[in-house]
Amino acid sequence: MLKRLILWGAILGLLAVPALGQAIPKDTLVIGADTGIIVDLDPARAYEVFTNTVIEQLYDNLVDFEGTFEVIKPALAESWEASADGMTWTFHLRKGVKFHSGNEVDADAVVFSFTRALALNFAPIWMLDQYVPSADNVKKVDDYTVAITTKVALSEGLMGAIMGVQGICAIIDPAVVEAHKTADDPWAYKWLQFHDAGSGPYELVEWSPNDRVTLEGFDAYWDGAPKTKNIIVIDVPERAQQRLALENGTVDIAWDLLPEAIDELRDRDGFTIYESPGWSIDYLCMNVGKAPFDNPLVRKAVKYAIDYDAIVNGIMKGAAIVGQTFIPVGIPGHLEATPYHKDVEKAKQLLVDAGYPDGFTTQIICQPTSPRKDIATQIQQDLAEVGIKADLVQLISAQMYELYRGQEHYLLVAGWGVDYGHGDSLVKPFAHCCSTGDDAPVRQLAWRNMYSNCELTALVDKTETELDEAKKLEMYEQIQQVILDDGPFAIEFYPLNQIASLDTVKGFVMMNSTSYIELCGVYKE
Amino acid sequence: MLAYIARRLVWMVFVIFGVMTLTFFISRVIPADPVAAVLPGNAPEEAIQRERERMGLDRPIWVQYGLYINGLLHGDLGTSIRTRQPVLSDLLRYFPATAELAITALVMGTILGVSLGLLSAVRQGKFLDHFGRVFAIWGLSMPAFFTGLMLIILFSHTLHWLPQLGQMPAYLRRPPRVTGFLILDTMIAGNWSLVWTEIKHLILPAFTLGWLSTASIVRITRSSLLEVLPEEYIKTARMKGLRESVVILKHALKNAMLPTITIIGLRVASLLEGAVLTETVFSWPGLGRYATSSFLAIDFSAVVGVTVFIAFLYSFCNLVVDLIYGYLNPKIRYA
Repeated sequence: MLKRLILWGAILGLLAVPALGQAIPKDTLVIGADTGIIVDLDPARAYEVFTNTVIEQLYDNLVDFEGTFEVIKPALAESWEASADGMTWTFHLRKGVKFHSGNEVDADAVVFSFTRALALNFAPIWMLDQYVPSADNVKKVDDYTVAITTKVALSEGLMGAIMGVQGICAIIDPAVVEAHKTADDPWAYKWLQFHDAGSGPYELVEWSPNDRVTLEGFDAYWDGAPKTKNIIVIDVPERAQQRLALENGTVDIAWDLLPEAIDELRDRDGFTIYESPGWSIDYLCMNVGKAPFDNPLVRKAVKYAIDYDAIVNGIMKGAAIVGQTFIPVGIPGHLEATPYHKDVEKAKQLLVDAGYPDGFTTQIICQPTSPRKDIATQIQQDLAEVGIKADLVQLISAQMYELYRGQEHYLLVAGWGVDYGHGDSLVKPFAHCCSTGDDAPVRQLAWRNMYSNCELTALVDKTETELDEAKKLEMYEQIQQVILDDGPFAIEFYPLNQIASLDTVKGFVMMNSTSYIELCGVYKE
Repeated sequence: MLAYIARRLVWMVFVIFGVMTLTFFISRVIPADPVAAVLPGNAPEEAIQRERERMGLDRPIWVQYGLYINGLLHGDLGTSIRTRQPVLSDLLRYFPATAELAITALVMGTILGVSLGLLSAVRQGKFLDHFGRVFAIWGLSMPAFFTGLMLIILFSHTLHWLPQLGQMPAYLRRPPRVTGFLILDTMIAGNWSLVWTEIKHLILPAFTLGWLSTASIVRITRSSLLEVLPEEYIKTARMKGLRESVVILKHALKNAMLPTITIIGLRVASLLEGAVLTETVFSWPGLGRYATSSFLAIDFSAVVGVTVFIAFLYSFCNLVVDLIYGYLNPKIRYA
């Protein structure tokens, strides 16, 4: 008996040993996140939010942002100016900036980077080529000066927002690309999927898909060496696991916690919560091409039927703020207006005025995942209260977007992520549609919902070339007001970004877009 | 014997070809656009069309099938829409982590299952028998994500005995990839202290995954042994004065193992399915995670690749089980 006890004691003792050695070193920051979204790390293809969070640490752009994207700050370019017609932008590069390879960042590198991104022509390139359509538009003036000519005149705010787009506008080391190119891969795309050629504060040591991303501080970084030497992002797809890992000290930062976990940790010692309104919008849309949503009164009735507070506080558990205009908080041009609230009587009266006193039957499409399916269920109940019977159909993303892009839905619950930090990235998708056919130049949300408004589309076109930033923002507000009153969207809320860390982590600065979070100033006490 | 194996291998080719063809057409006729799933919802129409052409998805389905078969005959399983890597290289990248987990789970499950089954049969109606039953029912009825989280909360979060996620501590660098099997690569790198740490990382996920197998093995071993124990030859062995352990282990267990071997054989491949949930709970970078992401993104080539791969493993394991039958029971003849 005694022997057995000793044996078991020894086994348990051996198992207990690792717990003693598991503290993360001070010079290493471990982040737990769902990294499954990362499919490759070539900046020319980076489109997903978390991929861009990694790209942000590896590469620099000509310009960068502070806080809410209203302030453009110098990065690789220390100054810039526009020609009188607003169509040529000249960027003066910072001297002595090194790539991770030790090569200098110069005008040739800038020209090469834009040429490469345009030649590879991956999905996110539209953000650049809508204004800079060809490599011929990017010219070297001298070793430290580059001139970029745009298709239309751009205001400083818009030019900055485009030049600050991560990935496609990141500056890449031409010599590294040259060294790894092959006959069938002249831009070394295959190599850059797993390696970096940037000048950012961190170098990529290893990306092991669905496992970890390992970064090491670049001591020669132009803005000072990063405060933490190593950053390791480990893949923790299960959110409950992320929370346990943070509580255990297995990770220093948990990137994707559930709102309930955030609320609990907020009241506990030892943790810090970072929050900000995010770059996304959740909405219910109505297909104006299908009766009865062609009737503006019906659209308004739907907007008054929805219980926005129940969605924000009940389903989102406070991890969102009510917002009803399509430019979210933190992006220049946001219109602060929330006129809609649940008003059953008003909604019923609007249906009577629209000629539907007994309501009607329709269909809501949503994804089968939380919170979208819960939001759709809430809306289904809200609509039932005013007499609209809606069948709920849950489809996986691939199926749902097939129908949505085909203009085949009636009601649909979805979300929209902001592509770049300017109202310009939202007015076109939400308000540009003068033809619902295939000839439409912009076939995004207004088009998918067959909301054709040529007057509004003309105003959207006018905003593009308005050089006076203040006037431009005023026009954005006008456009949002029209969509708010008459448009096919019942915008429900803006989700909050929520990240938690151990309280030993310092220097973490939250951004409206988590992809722009810079980790070089983060350190551990 | 060799003719039998050859015949089975030919059948295997047909089975895999059938599975591949079915999966290929099913994945392509469902009303979903994989490119739209891979790109963000706000990607413009032109970008989607460009991706579709780049992937060859704008061609007629028969042309796509012909190209796929042609590629397959040249050892090419196609290119993943999501990762843009050849599917074969993706499978080879993720398989070692899953194999490491599944093999450990199977070994753990088999040792535990056969031992508990044997003890349950020998101590029929006693405490160990009841314990074995409860243990088996728990393993069979609880989903892996629940069992996994409970084990993490107990052994990792509360007792701090075992690590909770991944293959190794997050803050350590992985050894250079040689075989892809992390423990083996760490041994090759000569980092023996890390090997022990990695083994400890393996315990909880392997136990979670192996519990399901243990459950079936306990029940089948117990009932087979109970059938064999009253047989005349067992009585004869006892009357000859053989020790009870020899009677049970050498005479009874060997004959009772046939159904157990069948179960073990079938479990090998289904462990790969079980790995999907276990790998997600324990952040294990294996094939299960790859399969889940591919299925959700309707990544045609990856879906077909994973399915063909699992079909191959099923067929192969069935063949091995059939061959082991012959060893265990010489009365079985291969025709």
